Amino acid sequence: MAVGAALCAGGVAVYRGEHINSIWLVLAAVCTYATGYRFYGKFIAVRVMALNEKRATPAERLRNGHDFEPTNKWIVFGHHFAAIAGPGPLVGPVLAAQFGYLPGTLWIIIGAVLGGAIQDFVILFASLRRDGKSLGQMAREEIGKIGGFASLLTVLLIMIILLAVVALVVVNALRGSAWGTFTIGATMPIAIFMGLYLRYVRPGKVLECSALGFVLVMGAIFAGRSVAASGSLTAFFTLGAMPLAIAIIIYGFLASALPVWLLLAPRDYLSTFVKLGVIFLLAVGILFVRPELQLPALTRFADGTGPIFAGKIFPFCFITIACGAVSGFHALIASGTTPKMLARETHALPVGYGSMLLESFVAIMAMVAACALQPGVYFAVNAPAGVVGSAPAAAVATISGWGFPVTAPQMAGLAKDVGEQTLFGRTGGAPSLALGMAHIFARSGGGQAVLGFWYHFAIMFEALFILTIIDAGTRVGRFMLQDLLGHIAPPLGRTSWMPGVIATSLAIVVAWGYFLIQGVRDPLGGINSLWPLFGIANQLLAAIAFCVATTILLKMHGARYMAITCVPLAWLVVVTFAASWQKIFSPSPAIGFLAQAEKLSHAAGTAANRALIFNARLDAALCAILMLLVATILLDSVRVWVGILRGTRARRVSETPFVATQLRAEEL
Amino acid sequence: MRRVREGMKLLMAILRELGDENAYRRHLAWHNRQHSAEEWRSFSEERLRARYSRAKCC
Repeated sequence: MAVGAALCAGGVAVYRGEHINSIWLVLAAVCTYATGYRFYGKFIAVRVMALNEKRATPAERLRNGHDFEPTNKWIVFGHHFAAIAGPGPLVGPVLAAQFGYLPGTLWIIIGAVLGGAIQDFVILFASLRRDGKSLGQMAREEIGKIGGFASLLTVLLIMIILLAVVALVVVNALRGSAWGTFTIGATMPIAIFMGLYLRYVRPGKVLECSALGFVLVMGAIFAGRSVAASGSLTAFFTLGAMPLAIAIIIYGFLASALPVWLLLAPRDYLSTFVKLGVIFLLAVGILFVRPELQLPALTRFADGTGPIFAGKIFPFCFITIACGAVSGFHALIASGTTPKMLARETHALPVGYGSMLLESFVAIMAMVAACALQPGVYFAVNAPAGVVGSAPAAAVATISGWGFPVTAPQMAGLAKDVGEQTLFGRTGGAPSLALGMAHIFARSGGGQAVLGFWYHFAIMFEALFILTIIDAGTRVGRFMLQDLLGHIAPPLGRTSWMPGVIATSLAIVVAWGYFLIQGVRDPLGGINSLWPLFGIANQLLAAIAFCVATTILLKMHGARYMAITCVPLAWLVVVTFAASWQKIFSPSPAIGFLAQAEKLSHAAGTAANRALIFNARLDAALCAILMLLVATILLDSVRVWVGILRGTRARRVSETPFVATQLRAEEL
Repeated sequence: MRRVREGMKLLMAILRELGDENAYRRHLAWHNRQHSAEEWRSFSEERLRARYSRAKCC
């Protein structure tokens, strides 16, 4: 496996100046994962964590028939993977492909094996030995109260940015697309029908209900083609970015206030099944088609002048791809439901480490799908009108001038094939990913005739689970805000007090809605500002998780194994602080928020311009707050580490005492 | 053939877990109750309340 990994990675490195087959990337990734899992993962499991099969897990000791339940390891694996796999590993690599396939691919593979999988594994292990405690609780207990409070605040801020950025991805995917808007609009009545069906017609039959919902959604995709072709309905469903953004904001508020069983839960079930099915289909499609990578290993945009987002490979490639390499959000899942389901401690290796490797593989597939597109098409779809010009002739001239030839008739033909009016300036990553996936699926069978169907199927798949994140995230954000405000005004902390519920829901919706509108109005397409902010925030959360993990390893073994979590932590701190610093202070207006505000201040003093200046300063302030929060946690952690290493602080490991398992092998 | 059958069985078990059907069965067994529409609704409400108070991954 190690030799295979070396050969494939070597093949990728050596074959320059010609197109290589994507199978090299796939094999390099799979062989590296297998080697990392077998040696590094196993080493940590045996030597560092000393996972003990005879030790009863919280699922056994605290078994309650609800969340604490010993479960088959492959079922937990599926559950955990479904929980960690969101739009991040799909969209991030597509955006980072502007540097070429090599930087992103290397980061996805190396980052996952040495960073992301370690974070998920260690946090899962720590939670497992602490009765399934959450990351926030562990931060409070292992580091201190400041760490606990700062991590809660960081998560809340990340939620707000996350919701805004994923909503922007949906807006950009549906903008001017009658077919897409109709299909996604149809998922709402379908979800409500499913909710009512599940509650009143066939209670408890979730799989049956989801199968029915899937058939209806497929029907909606077919109907969407007719809608896009009919005159009056086309006009009704063809919406601009602003009306779509407002519709999503209103939807976010209503969905978070409606009973969960009516809309959120049935669509969540459906989106989970569709997500797993599409990931499987994409893997089969890539293996079947084995597309050649059309984008070069490195593009000219490695110098930081990229049209999709500005900034050099270091640090921006490493924050653009967060999920898929290292994602702080996974620490919340690894210290959430999963530790309450593990029947044996040893299952933490396949579930914690293995699931992250699979997510990394999803990111590799997204990279392949994006890089299999003609480079000219890739940049025409992803580059904002503010950079390449809004007229097709201007856009193709600019992109061809970069050395990526593309023509207006070629783009018009492609748009016609997928049933869209135009594919120019569809920023956000989702449309180009859908295009790449559609090509792979169409080449697996059906050809050009089914390209439109597969494109809209992919858009539906992406939008379906992004919308689920929006309504679930708004609800979660509201709970977090209530938790924080409850310390100041106790009634606001009560989840049953309706005025408090409405006020906090509104506050969360207004917060992410503001950033969404900001992204829509941004002349550079919004992704240039918001995606790096999201990446920074997510990686900072990973830094918090690594602080907790390092503290725990230090208490267990002293400095002996500290490097396992300290090295990825140091890397993340360097990357995120460098990216944050550049996003705030870079003299280039394309990168630095303050330079952008300064440049805008010289332009005409219109209300729109004043708003853009304010937004740029707000983004800079947000970036600074995130840096400050993580610096606080980091310094607090270092204080604890120094105390432990000097012997002035007790090395007390707050694990639950050993209890022998009573579970028999046949019960698992 | 046996392997395929076992694989399908595992796949269905994963889907049932993701769809909360397994959790519902465990709930009925744990509390020694019979399936009914009312029982499902009360189980579902409690489970969904807990699920949507935790952050969803990106």
